[in-house]
Amino acid sequence: MPASSSISQLVVATPPVMPEAGKHTLVCVFLRGGADTMNIVVPYADDHYYSARPTLSVKRPGTSTDASIRLDDHYAFHPVMKPLEAAFKEGRLGMVQGVGTDSTSGSHFECQDQMEHGDSEKAHPTGGGWLGRFLRSRTGDNAASPLSAVAIGTKLPESLRGAPSVSVLEHLDDIAIKTPSGDPAAVTGALRRMYGADVTLLGQRGQQTLDLFNRMSTLHGQPYTPANEAVYPKHAFGDGLRELARLIKAGVGLEVACVDLNGWDTHFLQGTTVGGHAANAKVLAEGLAAFEIDLKSERDRYTVMITTEFGRRIYENASAGTDHGRGFTFMALGDKVKGGRILGSWPIGVMDETNPLGPGGVNIQYDFRDVFAEVLSGAMGTVEGSKIFPGAGLASVGLMA
Amino acid sequence: MHTRRTLIKTAALGTGAVALSSCERSISVITQAFGQSVPEHLAVAQSTQIDPEFHLLSRAAFGPWPGDLERAKEMGRQAWIEEQLEPTLINDELCDLRARRFESLFFSAGDAYEFKKPVLRDELTRHSLLRAIYSRRQLFEVMVEFWTDHLNIDLEKGDCICLKPSDDRDVIRKHALGNFHDLIRASASSPAMLVYLDGKSNKVRKGTQDKPNENYARELMELHTLGVHGGYTQTDVREAARCLSGWTFDMKRKFALHRGDSFFKADWHDDGAKTVLGQTIAAGGREKDLDRLVEIVCRHSSTAKFVAHKLCVRFISQSPAQSIVDRVAAEFTRTGGDIKSVLRVVLNSDEFMASRGELLKRPFRFMVSALRAMAADTHVHGSPFRHGTGQLTEYLARMGHGLFQYPTPDGYPDHEAPWMGTLMWRWNFAMALVDGKLGDVQVPMTDLEKAVGQKGGRDEVASRWWAHLTGRLPTAEELSALAEATDQHAGKGDARTARAELLGVMLASPACQRC
Repeated sequence: MPASSSISQLVVATPPVMPEAGKHTLVCVFLRGGADTMNIVVPYADDHYYSARPTLSVKRPGTSTDASIRLDDHYAFHPVMKPLEAAFKEGRLGMVQGVGTDSTSGSHFECQDQMEHGDSEKAHPTGGGWLGRFLRSRTGDNAASPLSAVAIGTKLPESLRGAPSVSVLEHLDDIAIKTPSGDPAAVTGALRRMYGADVTLLGQRGQQTLDLFNRMSTLHGQPYTPANEAVYPKHAFGDGLRELARLIKAGVGLEVACVDLNGWDTHFLQGTTVGGHAANAKVLAEGLAAFEIDLKSERDRYTVMITTEFGRRIYENASAGTDHGRGFTFMALGDKVKGGRILGSWPIGVMDETNPLGPGGVNIQYDFRDVFAEVLSGAMGTVEGSKIFPGAGLASVGLMA
Repeated sequence: MHTRRTLIKTAALGTGAVALSSCERSISVITQAFGQSVPEHLAVAQSTQIDPEFHLLSRAAFGPWPGDLERAKEMGRQAWIEEQLEPTLINDELCDLRARRFESLFFSAGDAYEFKKPVLRDELTRHSLLRAIYSRRQLFEVMVEFWTDHLNIDLEKGDCICLKPSDDRDVIRKHALGNFHDLIRASASSPAMLVYLDGKSNKVRKGTQDKPNENYARELMELHTLGVHGGYTQTDVREAARCLSGWTFDMKRKFALHRGDSFFKADWHDDGAKTVLGQTIAAGGREKDLDRLVEIVCRHSSTAKFVAHKLCVRFISQSPAQSIVDRVAAEFTRTGGDIKSVLRVVLNSDEFMASRGELLKRPFRFMVSALRAMAADTHVHGSPFRHGTGQLTEYLARMGHGLFQYPTPDGYPDHEAPWMGTLMWRWNFAMALVDGKLGDVQVPMTDLEKAVGQKGGRDEVASRWWAHLTGRLPTAEELSALAEATDQHAGKGDARTARAELLGVMLASPACQRC
């Protein structure tokens, strides 16, 4: 019916309906640059690790003040990962060793693309990013919440391409109607009347959108105090997680959120317990720990996954850095994770230094698509994995409850 | 209308005059001087019903550019449709000045690999937007959008980003108003389609257990021709895939000259006899099997119905009356898939005229129609997105309509519901447009104000603006909502802001989401 039908008197405003979707949020943390996860989740029980890294290895647990923190008989955390030790012990943080793509290109761009699109060398899905496909399959004929997918930053990540609605933002204040006068009251007032007078789906969804703005505007400009005295690290990554925590608390239908932590391409002087790599790992651990503390009362409402495009080689190079490898340690955090464990066979298989498919790289034990698909369905409920990752085997990993 | 020579002469003059500014500034100046501007006076609609010519321009074009409505009224609807059905006779040089500047769009599929992927994406997307905004061949552009959805290819799959520019040119644009069979035939061996739907891996080598790859064969029937309930069987899909086996694409071919062309690889082809939809294709047909298959599926009666229904959904109604679908299908069959003849039936039908205001504009149409109504000057520059000052393509992505980015082969949907979640970005786009906050988009507000007219009181002026944007007068309810919006600024003395908010509300209103 055209909007010109003027029967507003008869229309009772629809109360905002909180969609079922969005009650649980999957937060995807991408460590861009190829993170040296071997110096995050340290295989301290493997002598080969120490012989291959004469200057870059993290000390065995209990050997000194800057030693690693024991997780199990094989692995220990880098000392800066201390803030996440509790989550591991509580069984909320789990790891999978030897995750990766089948790309042997060693290219950041290709491997990130492959991962974010959910591709393999053999099977290209129909297009879009894996999260974009998930969100499309999720919504079917229904509209997603305007905030069903949020990427922190300024650029749409490849993984969200094809999503029915994606908001790229740095701050919650970005979710607003920016009107010429700066005060949205006049505009929203008029829109509420016009959408209120429209008896079709458009009118209904328009009013819901206005309700959402209302809810968000109460948060605007407000100094945010994280719960339980959580302290986010002073870093774009910490800021991003803080905004996501606010969105999760606000209950705006957030299903998928992407946030990056850059700067992992440590070819040169990566350092061990001090230096660029340790500083980055510290931000990661402190950020996630703050997120956990802040959302202590909402722990059933999110799952975090932490990935990178590839791991680095087991051996250090002559400039005290590490070069591009293959497999890496994947991490997932949340109530639905069967954590407290590091999955994957022991000892870690490492490719020969002359192996053109990834010299010195960790063998791929788990196709990343199997892991992603399991996290996705474990976190978000029924997911048709074969639609999100066509052509993938989707073997069970055992990471999710 | 200007001639080519005067245009070039003036172009030279214009370029000289503004030699110190950018090339794009010159293009803006020249194109505005020759027609991409605002007439002195606009005769806006006077009825509470959507004006018939406005309706035609809202559906068969991406909305009227200021002055288009008067021109269509002068010509009459039928004559306007006939003019649009012969796009090559419409001088489009002004649009060309803006849109023919993207080098990558002129390259063959193979040579496009020379470009960086972000460049390819940027140029193809900007080109599409510029054509839709500025082309005088509006119906052609509308059909380009239609076939782009119908034969959807997502740039993000494999190398599609390198291959889609030539597909856009040699398949979609070449046949947008041509013959349906030719369109499908061109698409079937388009490198982009061979990659997108895996036809390039469809091989049945002799003496092996090779099974054909059925992906393209299935979508050819399900999405491109017969429709999912069009009466084909799984056996038909397999038989079609056998016909198609051997058509491939390979960037690693030895002879670089034809690198990037699709070709027929005889030893990958299953050359036995096939039966598709009850019709036999004799053994030994080799590459001709493809032509036969396309002929069989395009001539099938389900195809006429399927395409007719889809066109009626796009142009008339989400649930079009069977009577009009039948008439359109009959014309499709009678003319052997002549797209112009079919459109003539759609656009001249009573059903078309009776459906005024019933369709939801998808975000692309919403954006382009708003830019056209406001006579916007833009070159669709790409640069990092910042909220409130953002770029058009980024707004499209937020609205869920990033061009060439639909992930599955069915193309962006026509039905309303999936688009309803992103109204907030439509509204923000509307506000940013009228507030001059879109980088690289200038709106000639003073000219528009003059053309719409300043005579009369608050409601009279608001009514004329509303009619300019929606094709009808506002209802009492709408007028009072608009008054409420402007009254909040009354007395604050900032006329510019008050007008921007008024226009912003109009563009964000339900009426401007429909066509």
